[in-house]
Amino acid sequence: MATLIVALIVGAILFGVGLYGSLSQTNLVMIMMGVELMLAGAMVNLVAFWRFLHPEAYSGQMFVLIVMTVMALEMAVGFGVGTARFRYKGSVEMEEARDLKG
Amino acid sequence: MLQTVFVALFGIAAIWFGVVVFTTSSMVRSALALLFSQTAVGAMFLAMQAEFLGVLQIMMMATEMSIMAIFMVMYMMDPGGLMGMDMTHQKRLSQAAGVLGALVVIGIVFLAGWGSIAGSVPPGQQVHDLGIELMERSMLIFETAGITILTAMIATIAVALERRR
Amino acid sequence: MSTAIVILALLAGAYVVAVLEGWAATGRFQPAGPALDAVALLGRESVVTRSSDRIFFEVGPVLLLISALLAAAVLPLAPGLIITDLATGALFVNAALAYVMVALLMAGWGPDGVYAMVGGWRFLGQLVGYSMLIVMPLTTVAMRAESLFTTRIVESQGAMWNVVFQPLGFVLFFLAALAVCFLPPFDLPTAPGELAGGVMSEYTGARLGIMRLARMVLVVTLSVTVTVFFLGGWLGPVLPPWAWTLGKSLVVAAAMLFAGRYVPRVREEHFLQWCWKYGIPLALINILYVGIVLLVVGK
Repeated sequence: MATLIVALIVGAILFGVGLYGSLSQTNLVMIMMGVELMLAGAMVNLVAFWRFLHPEAYSGQMFVLIVMTVMALEMAVGFGVGTARFRYKGSVEMEEARDLKG
Repeated sequence: MLQTVFVALFGIAAIWFGVVVFTTSSMVRSALALLFSQTAVGAMFLAMQAEFLGVLQIMMMATEMSIMAIFMVMYMMDPGGLMGMDMTHQKRLSQAAGVLGALVVIGIVFLAGWGSIAGSVPPGQQVHDLGIELMERSMLIFETAGITILTAMIATIAVALERRR
Repeated sequence: MSTAIVILALLAGAYVVAVLEGWAATGRFQPAGPALDAVALLGRESVVTRSSDRIFFEVGPVLLLISALLAAAVLPLAPGLIITDLATGALFVNAALAYVMVALLMAGWGPDGVYAMVGGWRFLGQLVGYSMLIVMPLTTVAMRAESLFTTRIVESQGAMWNVVFQPLGFVLFFLAALAVCFLPPFDLPTAPGELAGGVMSEYTGARLGIMRLARMVLVVTLSVTVTVFFLGGWLGPVLPPWAWTLGKSLVVAAAMLFAGRYVPRVREEHFLQWCWKYGIPLALINILYVGIVLLVVGK
């Protein structure tokens, strides 16, 4: 029981740190870092659920694999948008990005 | 018991590096701090006996976060952090949101009834069983992930391509 | 016990490889050369550059050494002579080798020098090229062994070594291994003569010593990796198993070191272009071929 609680608390704090980061940073890349941290918190929780609640069901691990894919994709698409934005405006500061129109 | 200690240790490391990400002013340090945070999460997976996921996490994040580092250097005004620029806004609000979010989740953790705790993972080959799960019951989901990757690849290239006039 | 033996074997191998590299580079055979060099490096002043990122500067060379050793931890030198036999062994090798790039990135960014930084980022680009060529041949090897245990991968090659079973995979993996340990045709991050030592240019004294040692251990680790995955590891007649691993690894290391002597350095964009345009399709063909052979003919 104790291990499950510890893992879940770690997941919660990682989520909190990520939330702080993605709200407070002005740069697109830093915002993405915050999102990655939040997803990491979610993954910790998922693995803890798999290990301590349903170790016989491998769909739990499957879910973590999907979250990892989502992390990689989020990064790729984010950098794609960032590259396009940088070409047109010369910065990826989100304060200046009121609209997504090129 | 030993498992709890290891999970807690790696958890503290993950959180500490996660905080460093937003407190350091050097962008490369920030990206690599995120890398080590994710590596600590991977070590937590290993401590929780999810062997394949742990190794996969450690492997994937090395590449992912290093690529993040080079994009930081490309797109930031001050990648070395030598000029002391402030790159934050609405600090109070975000701090409140972060703390509140974490507290709410921790509250739920303590309030929820978790039922019976499984003592050990089923013996046998975990990697083998995960493979069977991937290729049989969850195959459609796995395929969906593949299609999503393809879509994201095409979309990213389409967005990032230089428009020819 | 086996941990100590494996680490000692790696260090001894690193020494032999250092002698070989000196031979390959200068054409003179000097058995005492590396030892003299090491003593000289230890005695030299260890300069720290101005406004360096001190943490990265110190951690870079050590992380390089650690990642090479970690990759070696799952490779069997003989039956039972392995530090830890993981169920995800083949994947773990790859995970540990990914940190070679992180270490070089740190060592490149740390000293606040132009050549070092260019070298570090170049290696990131190099990784984008070679990483798929490491993973995909490993996939086919694991397909044949039906396991990720490195010991079972060796055992699966009893009837026929993987180099005969899938020569295409071997060639791709060998080239990718050359790129991982940045040996001559692919020595973009160090590039002597063009980047003035690149990543290593700002390191002096004991730190440079650690870095060179780490690089040699990396070469040994990769030659053992090639041996285990493609040349049948410890398998062989008459001689004891460890002698086979030793002999094969030395041959592979010598081939890796001498390969670059007659080929000009590949340019970054050519490397990426060739890896993605020819390397990855060939690796996919290899996966298809091995899959068909395994289904139709069997192991």
